[in-house]
Amino acid sequence: MKILLMGHPNVGKSVVFNRLTGANVTESNYPGTTVDYSKGYMRLEGEDVEVIDVPGTFSLEPKDKAEEVAVKMLEKNKKSAIICVIDSVKLERGLYLALEIIEEGYPVVIALNMWDIAQDKKIRIDIDKLSSILGVPVVPTTAISGEGIKELVSTIRKAAPVEIGRILKRSGVV
Amino acid sequence: MRNKIAYDIGRVYLAILGIVAFSFGAAEIMLSITGKELEWGILEMSGDFLAWRGLILLFTGLFYMVSIKNFTDIHQQAKAVMASVMIWIIAGMQIFGMIMGSIPGGEEGGWFSSGENFLAAYSAPYIPSLFLLPFSLVVIYYIYRLRRSEEREREA
Amino acid sequence: MELTVDERWDLIDKISKQTITFGRYSHTLKDAIAEITVKPLTGIPIAIAVMYGFWSFFGAFAGFFTDGFFVKIFDEHWLPWLQKVFPGEGGFLYYILVGDPTADNCFEAFGMLTSGLFVAIGVVLPAIIAFYLFLIIMEDSGYLPRLAVLIDTILHKIGLHGFAIVPIVLSLGCNVPAVTATRTLETKKQRFMMATLLAIFIPCGAQLGMMIEIIPGYVGFVMLYLLIGFFVTGFVLNKIIPGRSPEILMDVPPYRMPTVRNIGRKMWMRVKGFLFVAIPFVMLGVLLVNVLYWWGVIDWLADILEPVLSAWFGVPKETVGPLLAAFLRKDLAIAQLSAIEMTTYQLITSVVLINLYFPCVATFAMILKEGKEGGCKSAPIFLLGSLATLVATVFLFGGLLHLIWIILGVA
Repeated sequence: MKILLMGHPNVGKSVVFNRLTGANVTESNYPGTTVDYSKGYMRLEGEDVEVIDVPGTFSLEPKDKAEEVAVKMLEKNKKSAIICVIDSVKLERGLYLALEIIEEGYPVVIALNMWDIAQDKKIRIDIDKLSSILGVPVVPTTAISGEGIKELVSTIRKAAPVEIGRILKRSGVV
Repeated sequence: MRNKIAYDIGRVYLAILGIVAFSFGAAEIMLSITGKELEWGILEMSGDFLAWRGLILLFTGLFYMVSIKNFTDIHQQAKAVMASVMIWIIAGMQIFGMIMGSIPGGEEGGWFSSGENFLAAYSAPYIPSLFLLPFSLVVIYYIYRLRRSEEREREA
Repeated sequence: MELTVDERWDLIDKISKQTITFGRYSHTLKDAIAEITVKPLTGIPIAIAVMYGFWSFFGAFAGFFTDGFFVKIFDEHWLPWLQKVFPGEGGFLYYILVGDPTADNCFEAFGMLTSGLFVAIGVVLPAIIAFYLFLIIMEDSGYLPRLAVLIDTILHKIGLHGFAIVPIVLSLGCNVPAVTATRTLETKKQRFMMATLLAIFIPCGAQLGMMIEIIPGYVGFVMLYLLIGFFVTGFVLNKIIPGRSPEILMDVPPYRMPTVRNIGRKMWMRVKGFLFVAIPFVMLGVLLVNVLYWWGVIDWLADILEPVLSAWFGVPKETVGPLLAAFLRKDLAIAQLSAIEMTTYQLITSVVLINLYFPCVATFAMILKEGKEGGCKSAPIFLLGSLATLVATVFLFGGLLHLIWIILGVA
């Protein structure tokens, strides 16, 4: 099993990656730091698991070279679990990518990163509700200070592919 | 009502600070255009980048003055904060340069500077921003107090 | 089952209505500051102040180490000692390692152990550290993307957009990571333009450090000249290269306090890169140039190229040596220039020539690699295009500078 970290540019994927693997990927406060992917290993229940920090992408229809790399990585690693890192302040935009990945049939865990900033901006997100609609684990994180990372790791095993039709049903669209 | 007075005092303070900074800036620009330097008591307007420092001070003065209008608006307060930050950049770099210049012994001396030369590096005259530095700190303290009292008001 | 784009957004709309509530949110001071740093009227003065801060910091920091200590260590202690104890004066090994036995400073000696070490450690290392320290703080605080927004309009005139500021600023440190950073630009055209412009016009931190050491009073002029060249060439390239330059939506992150840990870690990674990559190149450069001198190759080349150099650029024929060295390390080449006898104006022209002239080998390799990434077919075109632009600009801007000196009556 491999774990891919995916998300928009500048949502803190590299920070999450560093937290998970203890590697030295430099995080920058501007989009597009990770133009190449980086690999590392994390301990998951006594096992070494490969983690890949995928370049930031807005959707699975690539618009620049970094995004192309991201989509190719996803296609190449059919058997991996995805940690989808979403900026809590821009939940809707992040969900778009998450849904695309879910539709492709990958098991997904959602990390609502930059949780602290969402709190500052008085944005409240009902984690349990979101998790139950989507049927995937949702964990609030503040990677820069390390909050929520432990919980994130412990939920990775719970990730399973979800049928998009069921999400539609649960959300009340159908 | 207490706030009203606090605002008025603050505005007068900012106006004066703004005019002073603006005049210093204008003077520095004029000097650099005419290629002159000025040393007057403990104040000097000379050195590298004189025109740039003048330009920045000019804008600092403008920021302070502009911020007076609608000072209760947070965006106006932000202008006063940034004006202070700009003064810190100039003054801070000047102090940093003094410290860095005071330590080595120079071409003739030993490895490190003698006590006398060390102190000489810090002696007057100083550039205008150094004089403005303490006054710009007051602005930050004032705005900090203002925010605090506004928050308390909102909660009440 | 896959959804269409609209269905997906409908679904997201449904989900977010059930899960997100927005509290009453009033602008904080942080938001207000974030706003005024991107609005041109207030943002440009602030940007000027930040640039001023950068420049003064760079000068004070690098001056402290280089002029305050390293010049003394190398010129008064290391060089005389080496000249005294190193055996075989006049021999090949002495020439390569120590250089000129009569030199009284480490710029002129030009041996691997004298100029090579002095340039790498005494001059360039402090400059690199100063530059990266400031850059990292700008990156981590979130100021850099705001600078990108500010400069967006200007860069659009040459077919790039605001985010091109990231490779531009990076390349003031080193061109190599800057070329990699061009990958965030959307189209092949933009990537080609950016990589080419960077390699030609933007001096790296090592060059900057050397320039401040050698022509302290004229660095501003040289930078301005290069900047004008950057925009003029960009403008022309934008007109003649086919392809699109699309608009980009930029995401500006919130301001954050940089953490000491992250600054330290990044700093170490970048300085490590310099220590293990640049220093061997400097040494290799000195070695190569010295060997070529020893065999008389450089004198021979100098005689052949003299007409071009003195008639077109107005510089002495001895600059051939530095121009060769510039292919390996540009900082080294500038150090070498200082040992050649010429007028200040010729020196400025030579420094500009070295800036414009062929990118250093590391950057060159990087451009080659980036060209390849765009598909095998485009690699030669990418490279040839870059080279053609390079030759044109060297002759144009080098000659133009000569012309300026002639008009001013100083050449």
